Amino acid sequence: MEKTVLKLDNVSKSFAKIETDDVTHALSSVTTTMESGEFISMVGPSGCGKSTILRLVAGLIQPTTGSITLNGKPIEGPGPDRGMMFQKATLFPWLTVYDNIAFSLKMQGKLKGNEDRVEEMIKTIGLQDFREDYPGQLSGGMAQRVALVRSLINEPPVLLLDEPLGALDAFTRMNMQDEILRIWQKKQQLAIMVTHDVDEAIYMGTRVLVMDSHPGRIVSDLKIEQPYPRDRSSQEFVEYRNEILKQLHFAGTKEK
Amino acid sequence: MSHQNPQQGQTAAEQTPLDKLTRRQLQELEQKKMTPFQKFLEAVIMVLPLVCGLVSVLEYILIPDNSTNRHPQTYLVFLILLICAYFLCLVYAGIRMAQKQKTFYEKLRYRAPLCSALFLLLAYYDYLTLKTGILTQPFVPCLNFVINAFWQDRMMILDCTLHTLKLLFLGYFAGVSLGLVTGITCGYSPRCRYWIDPIIKFLGPIPTSTWIPIMMVVATSLFGGAVFIIALGSWFAVTVASMTGISNVDKDYLEAARTLGANSRQLVFRVAIPHAMPNIFSGLTQAMSSSCTAIMIAEMLGVKSGLGWYMNWSKSWASYDSMFAALFVICIIFTVVTKSLEAVKRRVLRWQIGVKA
Ligand SMILES: Nc1ncnc2c1ncn2[C@@H]1O[C@H](COP(=O)(O)OP(=O)(O)OP(=O)(O)O)[C@@H](O)[C@H]1O
Ligand SMILES: [Mg+2]
Repeated sequence: MEKTVLKLDNVSKSFAKIETDDVTHALSSVTTTMESGEFISMVGPSGCGKSTILRLVAGLIQPTTGSITLNGKPIEGPGPDRGMMFQKATLFPWLTVYDNIAFSLKMQGKLKGNEDRVEEMIKTIGLQDFREDYPGQLSGGMAQRVALVRSLINEPPVLLLDEPLGALDAFTRMNMQDEILRIWQKKQQLAIMVTHDVDEAIYMGTRVLVMDSHPGRIVSDLKIEQPYPRDRSSQEFVEYRNEILKQLHFAGTKEK
Repeated sequence: MSHQNPQQGQTAAEQTPLDKLTRRQLQELEQKKMTPFQKFLEAVIMVLPLVCGLVSVLEYILIPDNSTNRHPQTYLVFLILLICAYFLCLVYAGIRMAQKQKTFYEKLRYRAPLCSALFLLLAYYDYLTLKTGILTQPFVPCLNFVINAFWQDRMMILDCTLHTLKLLFLGYFAGVSLGLVTGITCGYSPRCRYWIDPIIKFLGPIPTSTWIPIMMVVATSLFGGAVFIIALGSWFAVTVASMTGISNVDKDYLEAARTLGANSRQLVFRVAIPHAMPNIFSGLTQAMSSSCTAIMIAEMLGVKSGLGWYMNWSKSWASYDSMFAALFVICIIFTVVTKSLEAVKRRVLRWQIGVKA
């Protein structure tokens, strides 16, 4: 696969408020470069603009100032080369689990001959028995897993994951972390994942972007230089964690 | 559960290991056990329609008539047919029960009280009309007269029925298909909405019947005019409903579909329209009821055929029996049409079952 380079150059994004004449400055002068083969974890307090960055990259919204380019070309709209999993599970309630997962293949007329890929994805998330169920009948965590593979099935060069594992219990969560890593390692895509869990950010990422709010910006960009699979209890792991917690102003908090 | 020895008195559901349960057995398990008294009550309810049927037969035979009753056996045959039908259902339910299929039994059990009430109602109506004349004859004829009238005039009624159905479906489907096109385009494109909205706002609140006098003056053929009026009503209902449905599509679904590579055509047909289906169906239902109203008015005022015209015509000949016969036929047609629409809706919207609103 050819190399993809994603460049954010001085990107700012402000939103107009509905009731008053003010604007919310969601992002201010974000500059960073990301490449295929990287797994970027983004952490930061709620409302600091993490989802906004993903939505900008996905092409769902346009930056107020600055530019975002993918392989030198400015991003103009959404496309199948950037798969996005949303923070809110947005499964189509009128389609079965199978049809939801197959949606992007179908939209591009590629479902014929690729049915086994859908089956494989269903197996990955362990929902073989729920293939013909509608999303209304799934639990929150099940829906999230379906949404995850729905955005991955296309094998897009850029994966945008907005808190993909938020609704899962600890065990499923760890399994799914490894599953996502496996998918990412196989194709060496560029993955950008938002998470609220610092351990998860370190466990999965090759880089951790720490963000802060008012206005939303990147305050530190940390390379995690450790081979996979990582040991959550190793000395380096703990050091990375302390470093990130310090950036998030939790330095004084005692570790349990 | 599975390592218990199957005991006597256990149902099939209780003997099945939990992981092999079917949906039916699951429901059975989760239901409470019935006490003997409840079982007795259940049996009484199932047999009650037969008893009530007998009551209505006895009422008809034993109480002397108040006015002359020609062909008295017709109503009797009708009653006996009804009773036999129920009896056959009961037997069939029993057979299915023996095969451990409870679905049919439950459906019948659900309707049994209504069947009993129906027989009692028939008896009471007959008492009020034929037997005592409390409801004045011949203005409110007893059922025997009505059925006789229906049988005598059956060719004419059949002809009128076909005419009504033709008018109804032509108008309804023309209006609905046009309505879907305008509603979906307007819901999706604000520019179309800009131009079409004033038309809807202006024409919408006018009741369909208002157009009938105009139609009688303007239209070259009354049939075409009636089709137009029915179509106009359904067009309006469907347009408004599908427009609302489409323009209220959750933005999240559209965004998700766009990141999954859907083009704008697919956004309409794969996301917006399925999402708006519940709205569209409520529009279709509303259109059907407005069509039914419009067609009756049209037939009573202008069109020279169809059941509505037949009712009016019978009235002018003072044959109230035929008038009532036509009324029953109209009831049956509209019930069947509405029920079929319901069935289609349930099938298409089955994904809504169990969705947390
Ligand atoms: N469509 C929008 N219109 C107006 N304001 C918005 C919009 N989207 C985001 N914002 C504002 O931008 C800021 C950043 O939002 P964003 O969703 O990116 O936060 P986040 O970091 O993802 O937070 P969380 O972790 O809670 O998901 C917030 O203050 C939010 O109110
Ligand atoms: Mg967010």
